[in-house]
Amino acid sequence: MVKPAKGTTTLAFIFKEGVMVAADSRASMGGYISSQSVKKIIEINPYMLGTMAGGAADCQFWHRNLGTKCRLHELANKRRISVTGASKLLANILYSYRGMGLSVGTMIAGWDETGPGLYYVDNEGGRLKGMRFSVGSGSPYAYGVLDNGYRYDMSVEEAAELARRAIYHATFRDGASGGVASVYHVGPNGWKKLSGDDVGELHYRYYPVMPSTVEQEMVEVTGA
Amino acid sequence: MVGKNCFAIASDRRLGVQLQTIATDFKRIYKVHDRLFLGLSGLATDAQTLYQRLVFRHKLYQLREERDMKPETFANLVSAILYEKRFGPYFCQPVIAGLGDEDKPFICTMDSIGAKELAKDFVVAGTASESLYGACESMFKEGMEPEELFETVSQALLSSVDRDCLSGWGGHVYVV
Repeated sequence: MVKPAKGTTTLAFIFKEGVMVAADSRASMGGYISSQSVKKIIEINPYMLGTMAGGAADCQFWHRNLGTKCRLHELANKRRISVTGASKLLANILYSYRGMGLSVGTMIAGWDETGPGLYYVDNEGGRLKGMRFSVGSGSPYAYGVLDNGYRYDMSVEEAAELARRAIYHATFRDGASGGVASVYHVGPNGWKKLSGDDVGELHYRYYPVMPSTVEQEMVEVTGA
Repeated sequence: MVGKNCFAIASDRRLGVQLQTIATDFKRIYKVHDRLFLGLSGLATDAQTLYQRLVFRHKLYQLREERDMKPETFANLVSAILYEKRFGPYFCQPVIAGLGDEDKPFICTMDSIGAKELAKDFVVAGTASESLYGACESMFKEGMEPEELFETVSQALLSSVDRDCLSGWGGHVYVV
C-alpha cells in the first residue's frame, strides 16, 4: 500500500561551505489550508537545525526533547554532541514508538568537530546519512531542481538560491506546499537564517509577466 | 453573484490531479449565449463533455425556437441531463448564471445529479465551497453596480481560494 505523503516540502544539502536547509510554511488538513506561516525549520541548539514534515505536534515536541538531551550530553561530557549522536538519539526514540502512529519525517543538520553533518530520520525508525535530502509531498519536484543544479563547490549565495528555487518549484506543483520559502545556512559558527520569501512573489520574480495583447479569447469547444 | 440588473460569475484557474498542479490557466466558465454563462467545477473531462452536450442541445433549441434559451429553462435542461446519469453521474457541480426577461439576473447551482439550488444573492461550488459561502455571506450587498460587484466577487474568490490547497493560481471573472 502506498503511504500517504506528508504535506510539505523540506530539503537540506551539504556543500563546501556547510549545510543549506530550506522549507515551505504551509500546513494543510486534507484540502483545507490551516496556516501559511508555520515554522518548519526548528532550532534545536545554536549549531543544529531540524526540519519538520508530518505531524506538527510530533515534530515540535520531539525536536525540543532532542534539544534537551543534547544539552544534558554537553553538561555530562563537557563537549558538544555530534550530529551523528543527536540523530541517533532521535532515531532510537522514534523506533521505540514505532507503530504507535507518530508522523515524523525530519532531517537533522548541523556542524560538529568532523565538519558538516546531515541525517534523515523518520517515524519508522529509519536513519540515513547523506549529502542531499528532500522530505514531503513536494519532494519529487524539489529533487528535480536540486539534483540538477547541485555542485559541491558552490558559494553560500549560489547554494541559497538553489535551495530557494527548489522550494519554489515544489510549491508551484504541489498543492500541499506553499506560503513562505525559508532558507537557513549552517556554518562552522552555527546556523543563520538567510531569507524568507513569499513564494507568490518568487513566482513573479522568476517568471515576470510579459505584457501581451489578449491572453486567451473565448473559443467554442468543437463538438465531438 | 447577483447585482443590480447584472451578475458576475467567477472561477479559479488551477487544474490539478489531487495535490499535483497540471495547469495554471484552466478555463471552467463557458458561454452558452451572450446572456447565459455556465461554470463547471469538478472532474475536468466530465465538465468538458457536459458542456459539449449542453451546447449541442442549446443549438438545436435555437434552430427550432429561433431564439436563445431563458436561464430558467437552461437550468432545467442541465438538471435533466445530470439526472439521466443518476446511477453513473457526471462528477461536476454546475453554476449557472444568466440574465432573464427585463435584465433580471438568474443564478443557480446544482449537485452532480441535478438537484437545483436557486438563490437570490449568490451560489458557490467546488472544493473551497465552504470557504466561499463564508466569504460571500460576509461580503455580499444587495443591488451592487457592476464595478462594485466585480470587486466583491474577486475578493471573495481570492480569499477563499487562498485557504484551499486544491484551488488557486488566480481567477477568471465575468460580469454581465
